[in-house]
Amino acid sequence: MSFGGVKHSFILAIPPVWKYLCKMLTLQTWIVQALFVFLTTESIGGLLDPCGYINPESPVVQLGSNFTAVCVLKEKCMDYFHVNANYIFWKTNHVTVPKEQYTVINRTASSVTFTNISLLNIQLTCNIRTFGQIDQNVYGIRIISGLPPEKPKNLNCIVNEGKKMMCQWAPGRETYLETNFTLKSEWATEKFDDCEAKRDTPTSCTVDYSPVYFVNIEVWVEAENALGKVTSDHINFDPIDKVKPNPPHNLSVSNSEELSSILKLTWIDSSIKTFIRLKYNIQYRTKDASTWSQIPPEDTASTRSSFTVQDLKPFTEYVFRIRCMKADGKGFWSDWSEEASGITYEDRPSKAPSFWYKIEPSHTHGHRSVRLIWKTLPPFQANGNILDYEVTLTRWKSRLQNYSVNDTELTVNLTNDRYIATLTARNLVGKSDASVLTIPACDFQATHPVKDLKAFPKDNVLWVEWTAPNESVNKYVLEWCVLSDKLPCNPDWQQEDGTVHRTYLRAPSKGPTVRTKKVGKNEAVLEWDQLPVDVQNGFIRNYTIFYRTIIGNETAVNVDSSHTEYTLSSLTSDTLYMVRMAAYTDEGGKYGPEFTFTTPKFAQGEIEAIVVPVCLAFLLTTLLGVLFCFNKRDLIKKHIWPNVPDPSKSHIAQWSPHTPPRHNFNPKDQMYSDGNFTDVSVVEIEANDRKPFTEDLKSLELFKKEKISTEGHSSGIGGSSCMSSSRPSISSSDENESAQNTSSTVQYSTVVHSGYRHQVPSVQVFSRSESTQPLLDSEERPEDLQLVDNVEGSDGILPRQQYFKQNCSQHETSPVISHFERSKQGSSVNEEDFVRLKQQQISDHISQSNGSGQMKMFQEVPTANVFGLGTEGQVERFETVGMEAALDEGMPKSYLPQTVRQGGYMPQ
Amino acid sequence: MLPAAAEPAAGDSWGMLACLCTVLWHLPAVPALNRTGDPGPGPSIQKTYDLTRYLEHQLRSLAGTYLNYLGPPFNEPDFNPPRLGAETLPRATVNLDVWQNLSDKLRLTQNYEAYSHLLCYLRGLNRQAATAELRRSLAHFCTSLQGLLGSIAGVMAALGYPLPQPLPGTEPTWSPDPAHSDFLQKMDDFWLLKELQTWLWRSAKDFNRLKKKMQPPAAAVTLRLEAHGF
Repeated sequence: MSFGGVKHSFILAIPPVWKYLCKMLTLQTWIVQALFVFLTTESIGGLLDPCGYINPESPVVQLGSNFTAVCVLKEKCMDYFHVNANYIFWKTNHVTVPKEQYTVINRTASSVTFTNISLLNIQLTCNIRTFGQIDQNVYGIRIISGLPPEKPKNLNCIVNEGKKMMCQWAPGRETYLETNFTLKSEWATEKFDDCEAKRDTPTSCTVDYSPVYFVNIEVWVEAENALGKVTSDHINFDPIDKVKPNPPHNLSVSNSEELSSILKLTWIDSSIKTFIRLKYNIQYRTKDASTWSQIPPEDTASTRSSFTVQDLKPFTEYVFRIRCMKADGKGFWSDWSEEASGITYEDRPSKAPSFWYKIEPSHTHGHRSVRLIWKTLPPFQANGNILDYEVTLTRWKSRLQNYSVNDTELTVNLTNDRYIATLTARNLVGKSDASVLTIPACDFQATHPVKDLKAFPKDNVLWVEWTAPNESVNKYVLEWCVLSDKLPCNPDWQQEDGTVHRTYLRAPSKGPTVRTKKVGKNEAVLEWDQLPVDVQNGFIRNYTIFYRTIIGNETAVNVDSSHTEYTLSSLTSDTLYMVRMAAYTDEGGKYGPEFTFTTPKFAQGEIEAIVVPVCLAFLLTTLLGVLFCFNKRDLIKKHIWPNVPDPSKSHIAQWSPHTPPRHNFNPKDQMYSDGNFTDVSVVEIEANDRKPFTEDLKSLELFKKEKISTEGHSSGIGGSSCMSSSRPSISSSDENESAQNTSSTVQYSTVVHSGYRHQVPSVQVFSRSESTQPLLDSEERPEDLQLVDNVEGSDGILPRQQYFKQNCSQHETSPVISHFERSKQGSSVNEEDFVRLKQQQISDHISQSNGSGQMKMFQEVPTANVFGLGTEGQVERFETVGMEAALDEGMPKSYLPQTVRQGGYMPQ
Repeated sequence: MLPAAAEPAAGDSWGMLACLCTVLWHLPAVPALNRTGDPGPGPSIQKTYDLTRYLEHQLRSLAGTYLNYLGPPFNEPDFNPPRLGAETLPRATVNLDVWQNLSDKLRLTQNYEAYSHLLCYLRGLNRQAATAELRRSLAHFCTSLQGLLGSIAGVMAALGYPLPQPLPGTEPTWSPDPAHSDFLQKMDDFWLLKELQTWLWRSAKDFNRLKKKMQPPAAAVTLRLEAHGF
């Protein structure tokens, strides 16, 4: 290392403590980073020797206190640089400390003093100025400042039943230093393990051991950091007094048929009740309420597992919850139990329904039609489901007439006499008090009529005011109807107390809240609840439903007041609709809140209706495909594993123009050829059909073009396929041969099956074989020859046919009988054919044994594409024939030889 | 207040009232009624009584687990073998007359000694237990039993009785007799738990009895106060 090098480079070794500090603190400056470089050097070789050092090494200072550091230079260094303590200057965080704070103690030592340290983290370096200009760092320390811990306060512990004890405390002021809190606990006779508060939760700790109830434990907290250690006040308690029990569970509510105002709660206490007494809090509220009422705690101050709540409203749903704690109040309340609800039993209706009548004109003389009308009771008065209303009518001295009505009105034909009508509402438990109404006689005249009846609107309601008569009044009945051009006067009424002389007409104060019950693609079923009687303020005459899309006009539908459901039809699918409803009484209507819904894109089951058939169709297609593949597996097999012709089996000898290719013109041969109707095209040629003719011509032309372009990549041997012995193909092969081969060797084109997949044939696919294998030299040859010999006698054309068959069925695994069956099915089966068939079967049999070997060889082709060329070529060429008819697209290159063959049959 | 009581003639009723008021005024200062003062052995006896019941509850579940761990026939409900081995275990059963006539000191001493022995044996049991869960429950029970010992010692100290000193060399240890078969060892374990249960039942009675005995002083304080007042 050089001493006279870069300014500000450290020329000192860093003590291990400094190392530790550095690790602890965030490295912010390059100096600190540089330090590490030196540090490692030091640790490796100990090459560095500090020029001096600072004392103290790693100070932790209390904020606000004074601090003095001393830098001591080493003699060696002083000699080398010609410096002494006077040359020392200090820097804090790269800023030079004013000289006033320095004190030169002696020749080697200089100190610096800081008063009232306020920074948390100070990097202090001791430097010397050498040669009057170069500043060099001698040593560096980091001063960490903070505060000693404060005494932890508010230590408290909680024992969650079944869990371990957890204590928490207030840690006091921020210390800016790493402060450890340790919870200590002991019995008079035994100490327990300390509980170290975790770094992220320094104000609480959960002890390791399960608490022992009924034995006092002493607990305190120790807070400790670099600046000090303090202990909290000790607390001494019995863990049972800090317990938070588990909440009671299985809370259930049952009602009583005898008393409609009570509900009985039962629950299961937590297991802690076996050794402590519990007290409870039970809270309840009606289902719709948000605030809880509490049962007086003194009623639930002892261990119990049931409680009967009284003074409840009949036929009302109440929700309950319960919690418990130690009966003496020491400890903590448990959490609230799960809520449970129950409905009090029904009681008889507490009030008689509001009752009124309307006399309607009647045509019958001496009678009048009286419509008795009444209002339903609100739930808090009905105290149950109103089953029906009982109406009695009494005429003077005549017998009672009884009616039982479900509706809220009754029309009766009465005489002109005075009647007394009573009305009671009935529920499961009993009947309400009776509302009594006097229907005066026809000729009745009120003696003290109400005067000065006035009506005026105020605060959005219609007020009615009148002057009371002098006599005392039991009650007033206010009757009104809406004056409308369209509607007849539909009277409504309200009863007022006898002392009142002004009131307002009550129109509904709330609109119904509409919601969707079911939303379909083109329709939506809306439903709503009947407006509570409290807000009806009259008879709901009808509802109006307004609905609209975001852009569309609002459509209104009037619905009878007896409905609570309506179906909107002819909606558009996948559209957002906004719907709101108004309830109308005679006084007016009130809108309810708006509700939006979106019609789905598809009706219910529509997707299924689409998906299921598609899936089925797909399945069916797949099945059919599989079946088809299974049926045509031989065809596919040929397609995938093409039969490569074996050059050793190529019958060049029979290729001579002397051997007429007549067998190809025999339709029966094709029929026998393994059911491979691809050869039908040949038949068509024979029949002089024009179409295949032209096709063949085209393909020939195509081939010719190809031939030019591929420049003999498809060799002449392609033309000499298993069944072809056409002149043109020979000539083409001859051309190739003459062009490229010597007389002793033949080049074959190797076409692997990849070529059939319409892939661009690579060089490998058409690579020329360097094989010098003689064409006619083959081990399998004798068999073929033998076969030919066998058939030679029977028919002149048979040998070719059989040879073809042999090749075509080389990898046939289907039983021989299949050929037989197929031939039988043929329409033109004759004796001759049958004979031929037999022979064919023989040849099949023989060729099968060959075929397996050839197949095996062929399968190896892709890896060694020049392997067994002759065989491959043979199979290949055969396959070409097989697939010809199946493919009506432009023929790939690999098919070209076949095209040539076909062309070979054409007259040229 | 004394002069008021000494003048029965004039203002007798006023004097009585004044006296009553003074007595009421001084009530909070009476040490026996003052909660912050030394509560005496009463609360600690109550606590020890609660502890025995808590331990009994704890032992019930522990014994169930442990007997299942021992396997049949020990975990069968009607298994009731005659007490043959386990002679070193302190016996809880005692003649009723003898028990009733026990002095407080002797009663507490017997309890203390019994639990010190049982605790030692139980610690041996803990070492043998195979499953971690069982060891945990046993360890917690040992700690609780240790607490009970401390609690009894506290009561004894409050009543001014010395703690019984264990005779040197007789420190009981739970060392399974190598001659014992596995079954007999299990039998020892069974008896240890059974004896513990019996002891806890007995202790509950002991401390209930002590508790009742310690209650009268509170009433005496009230009487003394009345005598002082008038």
